[in-house]
Amino acid sequence: MFSRVTHEDWTNIVPMIAFGVMFTVFLVTTIRALRLKPEERERLATMPLNEDSDR
Amino acid sequence: MTTSATAPTTTITYDDKSVRQFMIASIIWGIVGMLVGVICATQLSWWQMNGKFLEALTFGAIKADGISFLTFGRLRPLHTNAVIFAFVGNMMFAGVYYSTQRLCKCRTASDLLSKIHFWGWQTIIVSAAVTLPIGLTRGKEYAELIWPINIAVALIWVIFAINFFWTLAKRNEPSLYVALWFYIATIVTVAMLYIVNHLSIPTSFTHSYPIFGGLQDALVQWWYGHNAVAFFLTTPILGIMYYFLPKAANRPVYSYRLSIIHFWSLVFIYIWAGPHHLLNTSLPRWLQMLGMLFSLMLWAPSWGGMLNGLLTLRGAWAKLRTDPVIKFFAAGITFYGMSTFEGPLLSIRAVNALSHYTDWTIGHVHSGALGWNGFMAAGMFYWLAPRLWKTKLYSVAAANMHFWIGLVGILLYVASMWTAGIMQGLMLGQVDTGGTTLKYTFVETLQAIQIEYILRSFGGLLFLTGFIICAWNVWKTARSGAAHNDSIEVAVPPKAARDTMTLRETLINDPVAHTLIGIALLCLWFFLPPHADKVALVLSALLVVKAVRTFHRRGSVWNEFHEKLLHNYMPFTVLVFVAVAIGGAVQIVPSLIVNRDKNVEGRLQELYTPLELAGRDIFVSEGCYNCHSQMIRMLKPDVMRYARADVADDFSHLGESLYDHPFQWGSKRTGPDLAREGGPIGSYEKTDENGNVIKDALGNPEMESYKYMRFGIRDNVWHYNHFMNPRQTSEGSNMPAYPWLFDKKTDFKSLTSKIAVQRKIGVPYPAMNQHEINDIARVQAREIADNLANAQVVLPSQQEHSGNALAQYLADREIVALIAYVQKIGAYREVESENPRETRPLDPDSYRPKETASTGTK
Repeated sequence: MFSRVTHEDWTNIVPMIAFGVMFTVFLVTTIRALRLKPEERERLATMPLNEDSDR
Repeated sequence: MTTSATAPTTTITYDDKSVRQFMIASIIWGIVGMLVGVICATQLSWWQMNGKFLEALTFGAIKADGISFLTFGRLRPLHTNAVIFAFVGNMMFAGVYYSTQRLCKCRTASDLLSKIHFWGWQTIIVSAAVTLPIGLTRGKEYAELIWPINIAVALIWVIFAINFFWTLAKRNEPSLYVALWFYIATIVTVAMLYIVNHLSIPTSFTHSYPIFGGLQDALVQWWYGHNAVAFFLTTPILGIMYYFLPKAANRPVYSYRLSIIHFWSLVFIYIWAGPHHLLNTSLPRWLQMLGMLFSLMLWAPSWGGMLNGLLTLRGAWAKLRTDPVIKFFAAGITFYGMSTFEGPLLSIRAVNALSHYTDWTIGHVHSGALGWNGFMAAGMFYWLAPRLWKTKLYSVAAANMHFWIGLVGILLYVASMWTAGIMQGLMLGQVDTGGTTLKYTFVETLQAIQIEYILRSFGGLLFLTGFIICAWNVWKTARSGAAHNDSIEVAVPPKAARDTMTLRETLINDPVAHTLIGIALLCLWFFLPPHADKVALVLSALLVVKAVRTFHRRGSVWNEFHEKLLHNYMPFTVLVFVAVAIGGAVQIVPSLIVNRDKNVEGRLQELYTPLELAGRDIFVSEGCYNCHSQMIRMLKPDVMRYARADVADDFSHLGESLYDHPFQWGSKRTGPDLAREGGPIGSYEKTDENGNVIKDALGNPEMESYKYMRFGIRDNVWHYNHFMNPRQTSEGSNMPAYPWLFDKKTDFKSLTSKIAVQRKIGVPYPAMNQHEINDIARVQAREIADNLANAQVVLPSQQEHSGNALAQYLADREIVALIAYVQKIGAYREVESENPRETRPLDPDSYRPKETASTGTK
């Protein structure tokens, strides 16, 4: 058991996969966020403030 | 998307009654939960707080060294459940109902469902407040509630989900604001986590065993436990932040783009981080790595969200001086940043080696719970109260006082827990000058942090005082106004403006199809045996090439897909579910396949006898796991302190807890680890009818084995006295006394159904009828009781009993069953795997270099 934990080579692979998957998610969401139309972005950002009923 | 000026309009009256109800419930339950927390904190400093203090309060009318429903082991689950599900749960529902109606520009879909949701949730909380102190528990942290309540929780959650999604379906605003995204993620993910972690088979109306055991149970539990923090205590509050903070500051969120990145990266990463609760344990290394890495990556989205929140206050910082709402929000978001910095830090294996099982974790949790949840709740309550009762906040000064008292309370609490945790962690690992023995006993390390424990209680008391002031302020505000439901005239958008995407369009399109197939191929690369994994990798690369070419050809389709997603709640929900389900499946599915007795290396747990199983259920019922772990980590200080000196590699192995339903690895050591407490079946010297020892030809006494009774590292009398008065056997211990165990009868009758369920969930008990089970249990109980009676133990409540009469009395009592269990903990038999190094599909830990192919057994 102990030898398994100290010598296995999965430590080399797991970080690569983890980083790769995360980098992809970051990249895709960042691209999407950047491509959002400015007027749409503005409208969405001010949604909580556009409520007539508020005092 | 805008609606035309000539569009038809309608007048909406919001259901603010439900918001008021949830808010009031949150404040009341918050005070209850925090009060129980303060009591629990004092119990760690003064053992008398486990019931003995009632002697003084009642001038001697109540006499007991401990009272069952007041012990730390039973009250601590009540505290955590009350704060998480009652305080934050009700606060979350108030915020979600208020903001969803306004962001959707429509009334909540069904008043009836809102009522069922509110009263159902409060009934669940009351049920928990009754069942937990009387010892009815599943024995898993934050998942202690018994199975009938679990079903009620699931049903009420579904009611909430129906009401929420129905409201989305009826909305008059086509776009989904980012707060709604966080609510959707909360509802979907909590349902998934709760159902999977609560899968159990009942043995009676109040008891069940989880279907997962050992490593599987540990992994599923902390997948749930970590994500309860993520999706119950974080994502809904982030949604609340994105709605209420712009309103309080009267300016839009700093960066809507950042909120998009914040949402998707947080939802995707959080679900993978659960294994960081099991670092350095017998959890496979690849899962530990996965948990640690994804935890570290959480820094990015968490701090993105924190900065987005704080920068929303740009230009409004002057309000900090005058507006208590902004004060609470700014401090709450700062605590979010601090605790989400600390969380990944504690997930680094080297840091975790010091911090885990100590009060550092407690400090971390409370910086999030008190600072983030508590302060965001207070800010929201102070913002909502004047609007819900159409008046002014009764006292801004009192709200400011709440803020400062609460802030000092949190800082005192967190700082003392950091100090206590780091100090105890260092002391536990300190060796003497020769470097061969440990310098401090466990009790000495506990006594060294008593000052910090007292300061923690005081900090908690201050925070509670702040919330009592809040309750008074909200009450006076409500009394000064009248309950009010907002009305608004809204334009009704054309049906075609929203929710036009079908499920087919959601899943079968370029971006989703390429992403899902890509993730599937990467998973196959990860899990498949050599050569097959390379094929998966090549296919992944080819898919990337194809995706790039498709994007060049039909790039606009990819853009349109995401745009449409923002106006279609159901496809959005499906994709959120896919994102969180992938993370869960990658962790849990391989462990389900690997965690089998044929796969264990070296050690396989011995089955509990019926009496030991009864004792284990008492151990779980008393909440002993709240203070005692059963996991010797692969760390030198752990092995030096808890492992046997004459056994090589004596850390806890995966197979030693394979049949534990539920697992009892623990998460905090207020007392020492128990993994090596048990021992083999004992033996005794044979005597003739005159009581003389029979000797063999060499003059050595002839020995005979007991049938079932085991002897661990301490004898039965030690354990008997320890449960009667822990300070008699361990000077300076803060453990409660358990006098009721000496009077309460063991539940022998239920053992038949319990063992039947154990067989169903995979524990290889032989077929036994109820008489056999009862006989085995009774024989073992009598062996232990005789042993105790022969040692002339004292039983204060039955002083007239001695000898056989005492043994007969004790054999039926819970104390004997509990001793039977404690003497069994950690017992295993050694096994040799037929082919231990054979590579197996879906078992990454089976890939190892040939030269390390030893079994690791002693």
